[in-house]
Amino acid sequence: MGPGPIFFGPDKRTKMKKTGQEEIRVLLGNVAIARGIVEAGCHVVTSYPGTPSSEIVPAVVEFKKELGLNTYIEWSANEKVAYDNALAASLTGKRAAVAMKQVGLNVASDSLMSSAYTGVIGGLVIISCDDPGPHSSQTEQDSRFFAMFAKVPAFDPSTPQEAKEMIKEAFELSEMFQIPVVLRPTIRVSHAKQSVKLAPLKVLDREANFEKNPERWAATPKYRLVLHKKLNETLQKISERFEKDTKWNYEVGKSISASLGIITCSVSFANLMDILDELNLKSEINVLKIGTPYPLPQKRIADFIDRHKKVLIIEETDSVIESQIIDKSKVLGRLTGHIPLAGELSPDGIHNILAEVLRELGIANLEKITDSKLDKLIEKLNLQVRKPTLCAGCPERAAFFAIKKALPKAIYASDIGCYTLGLNLKAVDTVLDMGAGITLASGFYQAYHQDKKDIPIVATMGDSTFYHSGTASLLNAVYNNARFILVILDNEITAMTGMQPTPGLGITADGSKGKIIPLKELIKGCGVKWIKTIDPYEVKNLVKLLKEAKEYSQRKDGGIAAIIARHPCIIRFPEVCEENPVKVEITDDCNGCNYCLDFFECPALYPDEERNIVEIDRNFCVDCGVCIDACPKGAIIPMEKKNKAPL
Amino acid sequence: MRLQIILAGIGGQGILFSSKVFSELGLKMGLDIMGSETHGMSQRGGSVIAHLKLGKFQSPLIRNGAADILYSFEENETYNTLKFLKGGGICFVNLESVDQFNKRIMKVLKEKEIALRAFDATGAASKIGSIRSANIVLIGYSVGTGLVAIKYEDLKYVLELVSREKDLKINLKALELGFQEGKRTSKNPGKSL
Repeated sequence: MGPGPIFFGPDKRTKMKKTGQEEIRVLLGNVAIARGIVEAGCHVVTSYPGTPSSEIVPAVVEFKKELGLNTYIEWSANEKVAYDNALAASLTGKRAAVAMKQVGLNVASDSLMSSAYTGVIGGLVIISCDDPGPHSSQTEQDSRFFAMFAKVPAFDPSTPQEAKEMIKEAFELSEMFQIPVVLRPTIRVSHAKQSVKLAPLKVLDREANFEKNPERWAATPKYRLVLHKKLNETLQKISERFEKDTKWNYEVGKSISASLGIITCSVSFANLMDILDELNLKSEINVLKIGTPYPLPQKRIADFIDRHKKVLIIEETDSVIESQIIDKSKVLGRLTGHIPLAGELSPDGIHNILAEVLRELGIANLEKITDSKLDKLIEKLNLQVRKPTLCAGCPERAAFFAIKKALPKAIYASDIGCYTLGLNLKAVDTVLDMGAGITLASGFYQAYHQDKKDIPIVATMGDSTFYHSGTASLLNAVYNNARFILVILDNEITAMTGMQPTPGLGITADGSKGKIIPLKELIKGCGVKWIKTIDPYEVKNLVKLLKEAKEYSQRKDGGIAAIIARHPCIIRFPEVCEENPVKVEITDDCNGCNYCLDFFECPALYPDEERNIVEIDRNFCVDCGVCIDACPKGAIIPMEKKNKAPL
Repeated sequence: MRLQIILAGIGGQGILFSSKVFSELGLKMGLDIMGSETHGMSQRGGSVIAHLKLGKFQSPLIRNGAADILYSFEENETYNTLKFLKGGGICFVNLESVDQFNKRIMKVLKEKEIALRAFDATGAASKIGSIRSANIVLIGYSVGTGLVAIKYEDLKYVLELVSREKDLKINLKALELGFQEGKRTSKNPGKSL
């Protein structure tokens, strides 16, 4: 039984793919954004990696190589650094783009706010990728609010193709009005994948030419007021332009019988259009799509509201459009409780919002989507939620295991990166934002020390995070006499976001050689006197070293003790593990106590419940041999020790 | 033509590569492609799911009960993603035998006329010394069964296009192996629903 074959063969349209010069490629949203940057003739691209923005820079590098461009591309130390470097290029008349994740814009916000006043010369586009959900972030913040806060225009794409086109428009607008412009893709645009039409590149031969104008570029508060007034005038002009725009702001459906209007944007627009199509509701509902949420085309919105009995606003992640609407008497949205205040708006979520509103207005009786029989059965299976975990062989697991072993009662202040997953080993107590591993550790120290209590505190931070924002935190801690143990988890790469190089590696964004900034010298420069480097695979030695570090941090003439736990990421540098494989086996001494599963948590170890022992999954095991130190019974041993039989 | 495919598994099983294979295949067929992928933290051993929609669509996401085909490279992820399949859809799961599948859920699938085909792609891939190629083995298997009318030659062409040079040989071997196994079982489909 079952269905017949699903048609999936080539059809006649294959030949129609390429007509004339038009080329179509399947691109990830972020790659389409990179293509838009390149098509706009952009000269300088800077970024700090972070999901969902990380793929933009590597894609620009690829296009640069493919097309033989002279683009300057850098992975910057952090987002503010990236912003300022891009801004400077713009001040010389060149086009510049700076990409980051939404919380990265918090870091760059000082520069954004100020440069909104001073303005730009060459086009400057800020790409801030939002993460409704959140899937891979500490907040769900809406970057469009940041654009509004800084008083700069924002574009809000609904598909990769549109994101590519909007980038080009953003550059034009930025140059026309000498203002930074924000592009705000959400994760469903950045990580969507679409067949995208490519366009020829714009060639802009521009030589760097910074024209001095201290009243503008070094404006004192007196001139800042003048600049602010000028900014307001500029925004007014942009607003008039957006009122007339029909490319990014347009209506779908002009049914005069429709009593409900929906104003929507970003991927919510795409989701809604497919739903309306599917449910055949196009004659009951008209849609106004907004691609420029700030400054909002107020007249267009007012006119649309005027023509409908009620208007529903569907937007992610927050109420940027809705809160700007002047007359809200006919408006339904978050502020009226019709849209959830948190989380992503899934297609099913939008379906149910629609069902509720259509029922309330007596327009249609649309069935809500509820758990089916299948959902209920699957719920009963109590499937284990597969949480992300450190990879088998990850050096960070070894370091966390040693930290827990040496200092079981410490406060563990950690940070953002793969090593956030030290949570699973119960070796992470706090994760706030980039750099807070050190600042929270010093803050904890001061709070306890004030009460004359000195408890062990361990700050853990990855190498890339330390380069991002560790130095100011660390020198502040040293300066103010804080004491704790700092463990830098140095895997020589930015692993979580996709293996971007760090200043410690000495390789730049496009693979060319950069200067190496050694971690040890940097830590020393922050005033730390006690610094040791160790391979965390040597668990026993690391435990010993951590105890010494604790002693130093509590000694009268002691201070902050720093340990650089250095071992290359086994995913990025697998050859390191392959060099010295330690094949292990589990002996009969294993009594199934599960200590290794609970406190070492390697994905290559699993319980054999029938035999009440732990087994090794060879599909996952990378022969790092670290688990030998994780078994309290000594039941995990190197294979050759037992089997010395000749082969 | 419109076709919606879900690819499910865990980080490291090649979901994103499989998605690339199908999207290039769609492009070769002159279809519009739209879809969505999981990147970031989940790739560290968490659930990874790719949505792929061929034909005219605006949304990158597949709604529950709308997918034509589900490829699942891991048993538990199958249960989590079955909801995407429409009545009459097909599920290919990387599992030794359908006998291992939950009986009550199989009953519901039968009611919805959803076909379930289990094949030990990991086992087969390990025979050619490349567990990581289980994804290609399962795709090859699905084509071999004849339930998904993709031409073997087209898939081979796309694999040649998208594989890294060092992986190409093993990918083609994996495809061939899966395809032959699929063909073999289709002659004796006793284990299918």
